[in-house]
Amino acid sequence: MSRVLLLFTFLSFIGLSLAQAQNRQLTGAVKDKKDGQTLIGVSVALAGTKNGTSTDANGTFKISIPANGAVLTFTYIGYKTKNVTVTNETKLSVTLDEDANNLEEVTVNVGYGTVRKKDLTGAVGSVGADVIAAAPVSSALEAIQGRVAGINISSSEGSPDAQINVRVRGGGSITGDNSPLYIVDGFPVTSIADIAPQDIESIDVLKDASSTAIYGARGANGVILVTTKNSKDGKTNITYNVFGGTRKVAKKLDVLSASDYVHWQYERALLDGSITDYTQYFGNYQDIDLYNNIAENDWQDLSFGRTGTTFNQNLSITGGSDKTKYSLSHSFVSDKAIMQMSDFKRQNINFKLTHKLYSSLALDFGFRYADTKTNGGGTNEQNEKSSADSRLKYAILYPPFPVPGLTASTETNDEFNLYNPLVAISDNDQYAHRKAYNINGAATYEIIDNLKLRSEVGYDGLRNDQDRFYGTTTYYVKNLADYPNLPTLNSMNSTRNSFRNTNTLNYSFNKILGQNHNLNVLLGQEFIKTEQNTLTTEVHGFPKTFGFEQTRVLTTQGKAAIIDNNFQPDDKLFSFFGRANYDYKGKYLLSATFRADGSSKFSAVNHWGYFPSVSAGWRISQEDFMKDTKSWLTDLKLRGSYGAAGNNNIPAGQITQSFMNFNTTWINGFNNYWAASKIMANPDLKWETTVTRNIGLDFSLFNSKVTGTIDAYLNKTKDLLILFPVGGTGYDAQYRNLGQTQNKGLEFSVNWNAIKEKNFDLTVNANISFNRNKVISLGSVKNINGTSGWASTEVGVDYLVEEGASIGRIYGYKSAGRYEISDFTGYDATSGKWTLKPGIVDATSFVGTVRPGTMKIEDISGDGKIDLSDRSIIGNTNPLNTGGFSLNSRIYNFDLGAYFNWSYGNDVYNANKIEYTSTSKYASRNLISVMESGQRWTNLKADGTISNDPAELTAMNANTTLWSPYTKTFVLSDWAVEDGSFLRLSTLTLGYTLPEKISSKLKMKKLRFYASAYNVWLWTNYSGFDPEVSTRRNTPLTPGVDYSAYPRSKSFVFGLNVNF
Amino acid sequence: MKKIIYALFIITGITLVNSCKKTLDAPSKSSLDESVIFSTPSLAEGSIAGILQSFGETNSYRGRFLVYYGLNNDTEVYNTLKAVDDDKAKLSNYNCNVNNSQMNTTDNAWAKFYEAIERANLAIRGIRTYGNIESNPAMAQILGEILTLRAVIYNDLIKGWGDVPARFEPISTATSYLPRNDRDVIYKQLLADLNEAAGYLPWPGENTTTAKVERVNKAFAKGLRARLALAAGGYAQRLDGTIKLSSDPELSHDKMYAIAKKECLEIISSGKLRLLGFEEVFRKLNEETGTAGLESMWEIPFSDGRGRVIFDLGVKHIKTDQYTGQNKGGTDGPNPIMLYEYENEDVRRDVTVVPYEWDGGDGTKGAAQVPSALGRLYFGKYRYEWMKRRVTSTNDDGLNWMYMRYADVVLMAAEAVNDIDGPAAAAPYLKMIRDRAFPTAPAKVTAFMATATASKTAFFDAVVNERALEFTGEMLRKSDLIRWNLLGTKLAEAKTKLQQLENRQGKYAALPAKIYYRTAANGETVEIYGLKFGDTDAQGLALGYTSNKAWTMVTTGETVSYWNALYTKDPNMQQYWPIWQVFLDSSNGMLNNKNLGL
Repeated sequence: MSRVLLLFTFLSFIGLSLAQAQNRQLTGAVKDKKDGQTLIGVSVALAGTKNGTSTDANGTFKISIPANGAVLTFTYIGYKTKNVTVTNETKLSVTLDEDANNLEEVTVNVGYGTVRKKDLTGAVGSVGADVIAAAPVSSALEAIQGRVAGINISSSEGSPDAQINVRVRGGGSITGDNSPLYIVDGFPVTSIADIAPQDIESIDVLKDASSTAIYGARGANGVILVTTKNSKDGKTNITYNVFGGTRKVAKKLDVLSASDYVHWQYERALLDGSITDYTQYFGNYQDIDLYNNIAENDWQDLSFGRTGTTFNQNLSITGGSDKTKYSLSHSFVSDKAIMQMSDFKRQNINFKLTHKLYSSLALDFGFRYADTKTNGGGTNEQNEKSSADSRLKYAILYPPFPVPGLTASTETNDEFNLYNPLVAISDNDQYAHRKAYNINGAATYEIIDNLKLRSEVGYDGLRNDQDRFYGTTTYYVKNLADYPNLPTLNSMNSTRNSFRNTNTLNYSFNKILGQNHNLNVLLGQEFIKTEQNTLTTEVHGFPKTFGFEQTRVLTTQGKAAIIDNNFQPDDKLFSFFGRANYDYKGKYLLSATFRADGSSKFSAVNHWGYFPSVSAGWRISQEDFMKDTKSWLTDLKLRGSYGAAGNNNIPAGQITQSFMNFNTTWINGFNNYWAASKIMANPDLKWETTVTRNIGLDFSLFNSKVTGTIDAYLNKTKDLLILFPVGGTGYDAQYRNLGQTQNKGLEFSVNWNAIKEKNFDLTVNANISFNRNKVISLGSVKNINGTSGWASTEVGVDYLVEEGASIGRIYGYKSAGRYEISDFTGYDATSGKWTLKPGIVDATSFVGTVRPGTMKIEDISGDGKIDLSDRSIIGNTNPLNTGGFSLNSRIYNFDLGAYFNWSYGNDVYNANKIEYTSTSKYASRNLISVMESGQRWTNLKADGTISNDPAELTAMNANTTLWSPYTKTFVLSDWAVEDGSFLRLSTLTLGYTLPEKISSKLKMKKLRFYASAYNVWLWTNYSGFDPEVSTRRNTPLTPGVDYSAYPRSKSFVFGLNVNF
Repeated sequence: MKKIIYALFIITGITLVNSCKKTLDAPSKSSLDESVIFSTPSLAEGSIAGILQSFGETNSYRGRFLVYYGLNNDTEVYNTLKAVDDDKAKLSNYNCNVNNSQMNTTDNAWAKFYEAIERANLAIRGIRTYGNIESNPAMAQILGEILTLRAVIYNDLIKGWGDVPARFEPISTATSYLPRNDRDVIYKQLLADLNEAAGYLPWPGENTTTAKVERVNKAFAKGLRARLALAAGGYAQRLDGTIKLSSDPELSHDKMYAIAKKECLEIISSGKLRLLGFEEVFRKLNEETGTAGLESMWEIPFSDGRGRVIFDLGVKHIKTDQYTGQNKGGTDGPNPIMLYEYENEDVRRDVTVVPYEWDGGDGTKGAAQVPSALGRLYFGKYRYEWMKRRVTSTNDDGLNWMYMRYADVVLMAAEAVNDIDGPAAAAPYLKMIRDRAFPTAPAKVTAFMATATASKTAFFDAVVNERALEFTGEMLRKSDLIRWNLLGTKLAEAKTKLQQLENRQGKYAALPAKIYYRTAANGETVEIYGLKFGDTDAQGLALGYTSNKAWTMVTTGETVSYWNALYTKDPNMQQYWPIWQVFLDSSNGMLNNKNLGL
């Protein structure tokens, strides 16, 4: 069939050529009016005909025109269109004006096509290459943080491969993943972390359902479209960007001094009634001043205080001719992180080729490869074996000096349960190697005028190899059933392959409908199939002396415990879609989209989901009655949209219950067992649907000096795909469609070209978003509990989802300070106890023996004791608003950029602080300086005894503000819930571009030097390392927990951009 | 125009190719069809492990049921019972609510038991459909084993929560939510199941599978049937909240005792099991020998790294030491009165009730026994120091849980035969147990038997008492007391005795106020004087031991005394735990705890 098609095309092409016999040839060159540079790829059209060409690599063109003259139309992106009348010239020299009013021509990727920004009717946010490349980071998402209204981007911690959370307008799911759909050059991918920022041409974010409905079943959480660079004009262009620099930890937490630490250990031992806890390690109290001048180890400095380095380079070659354009780039990132034993390397290759075989047939080819290697286990992990293996605590709580018997060996006792911080790092080592490649090709065939058929085929492969070492000090290894206390290696090799075929037919009705009407119709069909399997192998019982490297390469030295090659059911998606864009004189715009998706994740009756949407725009500024405002109002457009998009983001294979095989080490006589999955199948599953309403206003003032957008939206998600707890039926949970949530919000963004002089530019850009989340219904359930589990089972439920409130609310106790002397009638020497006054709540069963200085909890239920009924909502991790602003300026050859982003009104659950300020059941652990002597309540008299004299205690604690750290358990109170608002100067850059006359002597088109800093300054009241944190992400129910997060670093880099 | 037609033709072609029927089918890959699994014995056996896996889950038998079920009674208590408002104590003092923090989690014993039931139901359906058991004895044995394991779980569900939903078929949309069923329905099914299972299962040691106590055999199926029959024919707090016998004629007292008698006598006459020395039974358990055909009939087969038997029930080691790398033990312990219930010649006392714990040393050696306290005793049936391996895990000890032993069958026989045929016929069985308990004092046994056989009632009372002496620490007492309708009585009796004991009144009046002790020459063993009737303070002092201490169950600053902490509400008002809130919440309104009057 394709041969017939080709032949047909060929014949018609000859036919067209023959029809133009009595013409003459015209040659010409096109240049930029301002700088005289030749322009490549300018389209040259002969008015009133279908004939046309474009300028070649030298900026010249050749066209045959009627002998009696003609009108030629020159169009070029970013320039004003120009009509030139030719009479008898044979050679033409044309100059084009740059178009200041970019809005006219900027196009936005809306999925399966682009539209001019000015014709947009949906809510779409875009970021261009200049902004993405401005930040000296290796991830594009980090670079655009705070740059687009309506998208909240936050990195979970400071590690080089930290997960970045992206939420478009909040997110409607409760237990499901609210990540948006990522599409790179048309292909859905799981992450865009491994795409080099320098390779990205633009990132477009589809926010409302009218935009995302074209992605149907997967669009409900927004769609992020990434377009990678290709040659624009076919002109040979070589660019080389490089930067390198250093990074350093941004903040450390002060801990107790050695002397204070020892004094506290002594007091703790007395309070605990086990003085040997002190004497066996620290000697007699009489000798305590020996510790006054002891040399101290700064474990934080030793663990993650090293100077990291960063090196990042990108070489890109673009070029071609008028018919062929290509782009080839290579990027290399090498980061030595601040934490010991951790680094990150990435190589990217990106190749794109477009070739026009005939005027009506074009081929595209693309190849992308990313190879990422990450060394180091970081400070926590999501698929942890136990929260006990989280590692930041070692660097904080480990004694600041060597303590014989406590810090000398790798053995530890239950009361201390800490290991040397450096051993903890090497015993929790990890190596991850991720290889992602993508090959895609497309043919675009213009069947007749304005009717284009495009067929795309692509293949996406991902191989992720992850080796995790568990050394002898890890909780996991200590509790292994088969070979306890010997090193273990866990390897996960996962492979994910996707095949995609998309066919679209695009027709523009312009010719038929006449000048005032524009109608574009797109019809399409798509098939995507994803296969996935994971090979997990776990080898136990390595020789005790083996480190990570040895276990990786000498697996035969251990005993294979798990070998599980698990194949997931295929995920298939088969779809039809269509879109129609209509406008009348560019004044009244209407767009309708429809997509039908069939997904293999649902049973036959529920395979298909239908997602319609409609949107409209009204360009008010073009109305006659707005004539008077022309002087200042350049453009004003009102937009409205309504539509539905879906979500099928659940694991495949939920429809039928199948028997699976698992390894076990729990049962004597068996090493594997057959059982149904712990998730109950649900044959009735169907799509989660989000219906969104959006109303927006785009404005442009003072000849586009000020442009901006305002959007308001209301999203309602129903039939939520919730992982519903069904414990008691025989299964743990079941995916069900139930409940309803709502997100509503406002977004503003504005760009102000404040100054645009010859030698001085100043642009200010700002955006702010407000989102309010609410659970409208949870079906039959009263509430859904979230358990962050950072303290294993000691804290329990700490998040609560209820109808009528948002998700992400922290649930715990209210601090009532501490028990003061006035709360007691006195001390009873015979029983050795303090007697509480009547009416004062007794928290003994909760925090341990109550005496003056003990932490006090509010008795909310009023029953005179502290128990589970005294918990309430004590915080909300949802920000009231988030946003960012940037300043960009150019003074002569210097350029300056400052990028800020903020989050306001969100709470952070500072679990670190709880662990670092209370003893729980542990002894000999250090504290952070919040609890230093003078701050914490003290019971210790100078003579080394505990005071039980009310007057004396009062005097001793006249200036202390906090309770005594001695508690029998970790307590989540509102004291540990802190305001996480912050304003961050994320990037500050100063650059200098060499004057052209010098750079041209160096055979360069452009040479720019710059110095840049990342994470320069942080304004916050948060007491922990960094308020932008979320480390307990195993369930979406527990956002904003700061527990054992990898500390963030500041980096300073120098770089240069060269253009040949 | 032709071009358009061609193009449409191409598109239609592609669409048709893509949209053929199978396009959106995506079957499971890492899975095997039921018809394969359940027609191949070596594969079907894996479903047994699947059921046992649920036993070992964190908050299943391992971490919750074994430690909390069966407390408090006249023989077994939660050792921290004086913190009466603590959620752990509340599980034992008959004052438990639906939001108990130990139990009110979705992964709790309740859920894991039903997980095991669902796994059993799927396997039973599979074997009945594809297993061809008539011609395949290996498959029949697997079916017998699974039917028995399902009965084990239902037995414990009923013991823990009373009348519970009956699930004997794999779950379907129609049966997602079920209310509590009358336990009679479940009992009848289980009695039939076990009868069927016994037909498929070999006796202990008859084939390689049943050579190990970790696999189910015919004797255990029959013994469990007897245990269930006695429970079904006994008293209990029923769905209406009252304590009564079953009104179902099929489950009448007589019929049930007849079943118990039949099953027990068949086991005894089979000669496949035998009584060991009393200490030997538990030494063998702790040594993890696992041979079938001795006294143990079936054990939950925890691997070395899973299970918390000594961890929660064993003799406490305050530090890690020469016997254990895990400093645990003693969450539960004997009721202090049990120290004084045994006659001095009864060898069971020193095995069962341990008045010391291990302390001192440097973590790997040098620890020694030190006396604990009258209110802090330990079950000596589970001891790290008797194990052949050193436990290194900090969370699990891996000891098997002995679910039933032959002595239980013998005493059930004594009880059932007395009920049906009178004390003379039942006497030999009671005597078997008594003879073993008094190896050096046969005269005591003769005298005891004379009193016990005086009447049917006297014999019954003797059995009630004997089961306490024999099984303390094996968590059988609470359900025994319930079926005899003696729970309230015995608890009240225990409360009085505890108070008398503390104050040295009544039969305890002559006991010394202190104990006198020293470490023996071996540097480990503690020698204690003052724990037996007949001991006096005067003699104790005269011994010249290095140390002595007041022997009391009172601790400084306590707000609730030991005897008052035994139960804080009428035990008969709450013989069972409630179904926890999380399970009520997800039951679509089908489950409630109305029977407990919470």
